[in-house]
Amino acid sequence: MRCIRLLLLLACALALQAVSGSAQSLDDLNIQIHGYATQSFLYTTQNNILTTSSSNGSPAWTEAVVNITAQPIPKLRVGVQGRYFLLGNFGNTITLDWAAADYKANDRFGVRFGKVKTPSGLYNEIQDIDPSYMWSLLPQGIYPINSRNSVLAHYGGVVYGTFNLGQKMGKLEYRGWGGERVIGTDDGYFVDQRESGLNLPNGLSGVTLGAAIHWRTPLPGLMIGASDGKDQQWSSTLTAGGGALTGAETLKPFNLPDYFARYEKDKLLLAGEWSRLPVSGALTFTGLPATPVKIDQRAWFGMASYKVTDKFTFGVYDSQSVDHQSALGAARHSLDWAISGRYDFNQFLYAKAEQHFIAGTEIGYDTALNPHGLQPNTKLTILKLGVSF
Amino acid sequence: MKKPTLVFLLAVVVSMLSACAQAQTVVIANPSVKAADVSKGDLRDVFTGASSSLKDGSHVVPVLLKQGGVHDEFLAAYIGKNDSTFRASWRSLVFSGQATMPKSLDSEAAVVEYVAHNAGAIGYIGKATPHEGVKVLAVR
Repeated sequence: MRCIRLLLLLACALALQAVSGSAQSLDDLNIQIHGYATQSFLYTTQNNILTTSSSNGSPAWTEAVVNITAQPIPKLRVGVQGRYFLLGNFGNTITLDWAAADYKANDRFGVRFGKVKTPSGLYNEIQDIDPSYMWSLLPQGIYPINSRNSVLAHYGGVVYGTFNLGQKMGKLEYRGWGGERVIGTDDGYFVDQRESGLNLPNGLSGVTLGAAIHWRTPLPGLMIGASDGKDQQWSSTLTAGGGALTGAETLKPFNLPDYFARYEKDKLLLAGEWSRLPVSGALTFTGLPATPVKIDQRAWFGMASYKVTDKFTFGVYDSQSVDHQSALGAARHSLDWAISGRYDFNQFLYAKAEQHFIAGTEIGYDTALNPHGLQPNTKLTILKLGVSF
Repeated sequence: MKKPTLVFLLAVVVSMLSACAQAQTVVIANPSVKAADVSKGDLRDVFTGASSSLKDGSHVVPVLLKQGGVHDEFLAAYIGKNDSTFRASWRSLVFSGQATMPKSLDSEAAVVEYVAHNAGAIGYIGKATPHEGVKVLAVR
């Protein structure tokens, strides 16, 4: 972390020198401020979802984002983005989305460092940027919103670039990343643990590395890609009984393979993704036998959207997720059909409506808000209003 | 009239209208840009933030019109998106820390002025708009 701060300071110093050296005006710095805010309403027919009281109708999903960037010289950008996030019992805080310096030497090589978005999968970098896509809720098997803050970004760096493979072969984009990932103590992964009295007071953190390639094929609009992340062994203090017991939660090294494709032509968008999250580890308390932690989640989705008019887009997706380490039953899987519509009133204001038909309870539910047990099927309706500038 | 003939005639009319729309918009660049022409693919990459240079190596910076017919025609003809989709794709880049939003100007005259005075700037205007001080790039 200290190293990251030093790198950020260095980038700021570089930017300041570039400014003072050429006596640039504020306009020359190309300072930009952008932001957006969304307010959502959730209603479910059966279970309460995403730690909200959704079966009564819940407005407890609010987000507001502001960023400021400057470009003192054409190849250097520095910026920072903050976010207010509230979803049920998650968040209700202001967090740092990213704070980074980006130096793009040319189209073939650039480097970004600080707190940076992790460029894995098809949508990870933009999964929190609501104005940029039509869905209210991305497929939860791969992009679980209650763990979003942990997987979105890491402290470290990203290298990126694009190679032109010639007219017959298209273009190849690459991204490589490394650094430290911190899964916050209030992350969705730990909801069940927390509600059963097990706490990670410092969250869970460890080294993360990864790479991704996106092949922009000669067929205009078709991109095929793959990414793989390698997370090293993670370990953190674990407490139980309100601090009466102290132990450790340890996760063994694991990979996060991900394959995806997207096709855009005129008003049509098709996309699909498959990913796997195989995690094994243990919860250990001194003098007690270790409790194993085993997850082998395999998830995929296929989606299609069509721009019916300039202002209205309609879409549908099928998302499935199965934890192969879970016992047979509704808690082993989540099958989600979603139909969605987005209406852009103008450049700044938009509205979304989305209906989910969810079978299985693997993702998105907690026991505290569903004290009478979970029903196997849920219908979820989401209405959202967003503004961006 | 037989159905195939009707479909053929309709296709001809549509392609003529499309060509006409493209002909109404010209791509302009600062004289520092070496290239005399630009491919549709390069233009799409530059204006969607995927690339910051042309094939000949010229570094370029896109400039947009805020709105209007010329803006919509340019997006439809060369970028393959409408305004809301185009801006949504830029928001992805801006809010994920990958790019800054291109400068958006109110009028074609302002675009000409900006492009004329900023090295590497590349923009678009209507064919009839006076464009002294800039070079016109042919689109291949």
